[in-house]
Amino acid sequence: GVLAQLAVLEGRARRDAVERERRERREERLALLECRARELRLRRERLRQQEPRVGDAGTPSDPAHPAPRAILEWRIRSLRALLQVFHLTGISGKLSKRSVCFTFSTAYENSRLDSFHLELLLRPQVRIQRHSIPAFIPLEPLSREFLLTDLRRFLALLSQHLNGYVGRRFQAEQLQERFSHRLQGAPQRNSLCNLLTFSYSVTGNSRSFPLRARLLYRDPLRSLPTEATVSCSPDAPAALAATAAEHSELFRRLALHKAFQT
Amino acid sequence: MDETVAEYIRRTVLKIPRDEIKVMLQKWGFLSEAQLQTLNFHQMKDNISQEVVQLCEENSADIKQAAVLDIIYNHIYHNKRMWSVYQMRKTGEELDYFDLTDFKKKFKRRLQSALKNVTITFKEYEDNAIWIRVAWGTPHRKPNQYKPSYVVYHSQTPYVFISASVLKSNLPLLCQALIVASNYHDIREMELRSHSLNSLKDIVFKRYSQNFQTYRPKPVQGKNVEPESVDLRIVQENRSEKERIQRVNREVFGDGPQPILEFAHYRLETMFKSDPKMDVLDKKEPFRCLVKFSSPHLLESLKSLAPAGMADAPLSPLLTCIPQKARNYFRIREKKGLFPESFVSP
Repeated sequence: GVLAQLAVLEGRARRDAVERERRERREERLALLECRARELRLRRERLRQQEPRVGDAGTPSDPAHPAPRAILEWRIRSLRALLQVFHLTGISGKLSKRSVCFTFSTAYENSRLDSFHLELLLRPQVRIQRHSIPAFIPLEPLSREFLLTDLRRFLALLSQHLNGYVGRRFQAEQLQERFSHRLQGAPQRNSLCNLLTFSYSVTGNSRSFPLRARLLYRDPLRSLPTEATVSCSPDAPAALAATAAEHSELFRRLALHKAFQT
Repeated sequence: MDETVAEYIRRTVLKIPRDEIKVMLQKWGFLSEAQLQTLNFHQMKDNISQEVVQLCEENSADIKQAAVLDIIYNHIYHNKRMWSVYQMRKTGEELDYFDLTDFKKKFKRRLQSALKNVTITFKEYEDNAIWIRVAWGTPHRKPNQYKPSYVVYHSQTPYVFISASVLKSNLPLLCQALIVASNYHDIREMELRSHSLNSLKDIVFKRYSQNFQTYRPKPVQGKNVEPESVDLRIVQENRSEKERIQRVNREVFGDGPQPILEFAHYRLETMFKSDPKMDVLDKKEPFRCLVKFSSPHLLESLKSLAPAGMADAPLSPLLTCIPQKARNYFRIREKKGLFPESFVSP
């Protein structure tokens, strides 16, 4: 009927309008781009004419007092070199106009773990702008000692602290996940995971004589404990005491979850 | 079982929403599974709490266990309390091997030597958070269990989160005990307060999303592919301006959720700037006023100001520096010098 006809006509009109819009838009954009291309060509000519002049007007350089601009450029160059070197060690960085942002990607035993960030401002002198380093990592003492004097060492040490921490945390988490059936109660640890105590039983019979382990990680950069004390209750059989000594040695040598596997 | 303990347990259970009571009692672990089975959780809360008290009577509960239940309640409903953040400092830089038993012993000893009538309860959680509940008494009165202070501490960090009770006079004692137990030298209150404990933790532990530039190039998100169905006759004015605002917003606020803060206080002590001819005040005095921004979620609302067209982007650094400076109380004074600009006092 009439309404159907009207609907068809309306649809056709709309389609035509959309087509027209699209065409006009394309032509507009084309004109704009042509204008811009012309602009850029002119700019390029201007710059080409300027170039030889820039090369000639070198600032009279005094080797004893290098211009501040030269110092800055040297600083930026050495930072770039630093960034390339450290990319291989799990530290990568991105340089921007006023700052550089380092990313510490930690890993332990072929597992990639957390990433932490540190943003440094470069002028007037190097200082920390913001970061996502956990509060229990000694960032402040490290930066006080090394940030201004030896940036490379600062970054390396910080990376080692972070890797040490995630390595210890990984072992503690693995212990709880995979060997909870051999543990009695929950292991006790702290934020840095440098003191770990737990009670466990040797597989098999001795359910009534648990062993108590205390692992102390004195070196914050390492993921193996420096001291491992395994003790048993005084009324335990002598054989257990010997086992305890063995285990103590084991914990010192092997990663925690590996030690439990044996 | 002591009558006061019974009453305290009854009132604590009454606070818990009915649907959560069973879960919380299970977390408490004081009543056995068999005992919990005998409870009818579909009756009125009054009756539930009476039955719980009876079961606790059977197990001879004392105030220590009741206090643990209270900690569990406050851990889940921490948003009901106002938390302040304190920062500790230590002089030496030796590495700390934080021993939990050692910490608890020192803390208790310090508090109890100063005040005999205190109830001290500890509970540790998976994320290394140590919750301490302290109920305060006086030399002549038993501790008031209904107005305890709560402390949350993560080992080997310099930050302590305290929800003090109304009795503020015990705060110095609490702080003393904390620094002694954690091997720090002194403690000061930071200008950071909120109801959301987790957001406070996010801010000081730097766990909130900051927009860091990483080495790997991020996928380019600039060009929007126009879907075919969009009517091309609708034109977006200011598209580039909108995109600029989005970009600036992301740089400042990051991509992820913002920590939840409810307010920001700015105490202004700046000079009233006016036309010298129109001398409003007889003498030049700083114009004192307090500007307070409040919102259920302050940072999210600040983040949406510019895209909503209500403010220019970038926002004033006084507003955007809140998570990074870890404070929501500011005092703005006149900068003394040639240029009368204002600066934020530390």
